[in-house]
Amino acid sequence: MSATSPTYDLDPLFRPRTVAVIGASDNPGKLGYHVMKSLIEGGFEGEILPVNAKAERVMGLAAYPSVEACPSRIDLGIVVVPAAAVPTVLEQCIRKKVGGLVLISAGFKEIEDPAGARQQEALKAMAVVNGIPVIGPNTFGMINLHHRLNASFTPEFSLAGKGGIALVSQSGGMSHLLAFLAMNAGIGFSKIIGLGNRLNLDFAEILPYLASDPDTRVIALYIEGLDEPRPLLEAAESVRGKKPVLVYKTGAASTGDQASMSHTGSLAGRHEIYSGAFHQAGMLTVDGSEAMLDLGKALNVCSLPRGGRIAILTGQAGPGMAAADACEALGLEIARFGSATQSEVDRLLPPLAMRTNPVDMGPAWYDSGAIQGIMRAVLEDEGVDGIILLMMYASANREVVPVLSGLLNEWRQRKPLVSCLVSPAGIWDEAVRELEEGRALANYPTPERAAEAMAGLCRYACLSNTEWRAL
Amino acid sequence: MNLITEALERGESTLSEHASKQLLAAYGIPVTREVEVLRPEDLAGALDEVGFPMVLKACGARFTHKTERGLVRVDLRTREEALRAFEAIWPEAEQAAGSVLVQEMVGGRRELVAGLTRDPQFGPCVMFGLGGIFTEILRDVVFRVAPVTERDAQDMFSEIKGRRILDAVRGMPPADRDHLARILIALGRIGLEHPRVKEIDVNPLILDAERPVAVDALVVLGD
Repeated sequence: MSATSPTYDLDPLFRPRTVAVIGASDNPGKLGYHVMKSLIEGGFEGEILPVNAKAERVMGLAAYPSVEACPSRIDLGIVVVPAAAVPTVLEQCIRKKVGGLVLISAGFKEIEDPAGARQQEALKAMAVVNGIPVIGPNTFGMINLHHRLNASFTPEFSLAGKGGIALVSQSGGMSHLLAFLAMNAGIGFSKIIGLGNRLNLDFAEILPYLASDPDTRVIALYIEGLDEPRPLLEAAESVRGKKPVLVYKTGAASTGDQASMSHTGSLAGRHEIYSGAFHQAGMLTVDGSEAMLDLGKALNVCSLPRGGRIAILTGQAGPGMAAADACEALGLEIARFGSATQSEVDRLLPPLAMRTNPVDMGPAWYDSGAIQGIMRAVLEDEGVDGIILLMMYASANREVVPVLSGLLNEWRQRKPLVSCLVSPAGIWDEAVRELEEGRALANYPTPERAAEAMAGLCRYACLSNTEWRAL
Repeated sequence: MNLITEALERGESTLSEHASKQLLAAYGIPVTREVEVLRPEDLAGALDEVGFPMVLKACGARFTHKTERGLVRVDLRTREEALRAFEAIWPEAEQAAGSVLVQEMVGGRRELVAGLTRDPQFGPCVMFGLGGIFTEILRDVVFRVAPVTERDAQDMFSEIKGRRILDAVRGMPPADRDHLARILIALGRIGLEHPRVKEIDVNPLILDAERPVAVDALVVLGD
């Protein structure tokens, strides 16, 4: 299957020097206005060419009546004309040798009228024969944050942080949801790509490009359904162990529809088969939007554990218990400290505290030296594969996080470290953000989510390592 | 496989339990020791061959929900019990042009399920999970696309929620995972090599101490 599908050069799409907006407009009631706004406000550094049959200028830039009338070579065309005009525009773009298209226009396969699907098939044939890669139709567009390219109708995507996660989604709505949630949580992206109706670029075509993209460390896919799953499985298999591929697949509700004489048949929901196949190809499945972002962040920041033995270091007993319960429920093991580690912990903490894992560092609130000593001993313990650090703010422990920064930055994830460092707004946020940006730790708002992120790292380590499958 | 073409020629959409197990056994899947009794006069010999305790079941392409229809008698410990069970089952078996299976009683309380289904997009897919009555209640099953590798199979064992059933529990030894893996790999091979096999349901697959045995099996045929 993959042998017959053509491969496209996607660089003109994602790293263009010249972008034409076909259907550009000064009217805020048109998508062509919002796309122009995205490109300009996003700070695109290349040339922007508005194409509009009637206007001489759009948003202060010289406009052209057609793509072919544009004076320069065009890498990327963003198309926002009505569906009926798309075939003509595509023909012109092919003649102009445009490098690739983002086809925002809607009214194809997604509409009830079967004419829409037929029109899309005709466009696809044209694109495939002429070797032009097309994202869409029926998409919000695509954003390459490292290239300052916002080729979408949502200018606010440019406000997303620059980071290592590439989000590829079949749904525009889910892209917006995940991107805005991520912005609020301080999680950055390399690219956000809306595949829309997938004319000739599907997950299987995008995945290898992202696998070789130096700006992308984690690939996150939102999938509703696939016409042909095998090419994606093959693509995932080919990047296995190189970059983590996360999948959030919805559509579990519409399963179990086939009548069957056997248990096997009646239990074979599409969802169960999808998740088995994804797992088989080395992709990591998650079961929600929050989990997608939490695990995306952990994989972007943390190193991979060599096993599932976890140390829990906490500033207060309660959150430590919550983390321990969550770890156990997720199949993680609460590590047994080596004797050197244990005697160091015993030396630094009074006997009234919990001193075996999980360690309650509460009595050392005022003694940052002791906390550093405990952290160091546990980080270096050979029997510990990952650390969960929990600390709830109290006026008396205000300095703990800033004091730990030095050690954690120096340690820098030689073992995965996830945390739940929580204070009222404005107290620890800045220090935590710096630690995350320095990839010293991945922080979460609850002990349970921190534990889930650690479990996800372990699951991925199992998937990418042929020797180890503890979880 | 002759079993498959013969059943299709007879216009049947399933293989009988006995024929289903013959297909599985040809792929190295361990099945119950059993004798098919086609005529009442063959019963005595079958009882001697299988030995007590034993199970008697109606067998034929039309018997798909045998337990619900009272056509399965388990844990028969004497010749008298076996004869009574046969008398109860035989008329219906005879009427349906079927037979009665005399089967060894497999000891073991851990029931698993394994199977094969043909998905329109993914092709043959292998299933594994908790068996017996828990199959429908808990739906604790996982799937893999064929061919299934050793690693895929081992992953499936750790992916079910009830995975601890495979560990040493309550004095029972840990399941022979390598043996179980070979069963899942074999099911995938049947799916790839026999396009007319639409579904396979091995339920229960009982752990007799550590050893898995297919106690009941159904092969569904299709185009």
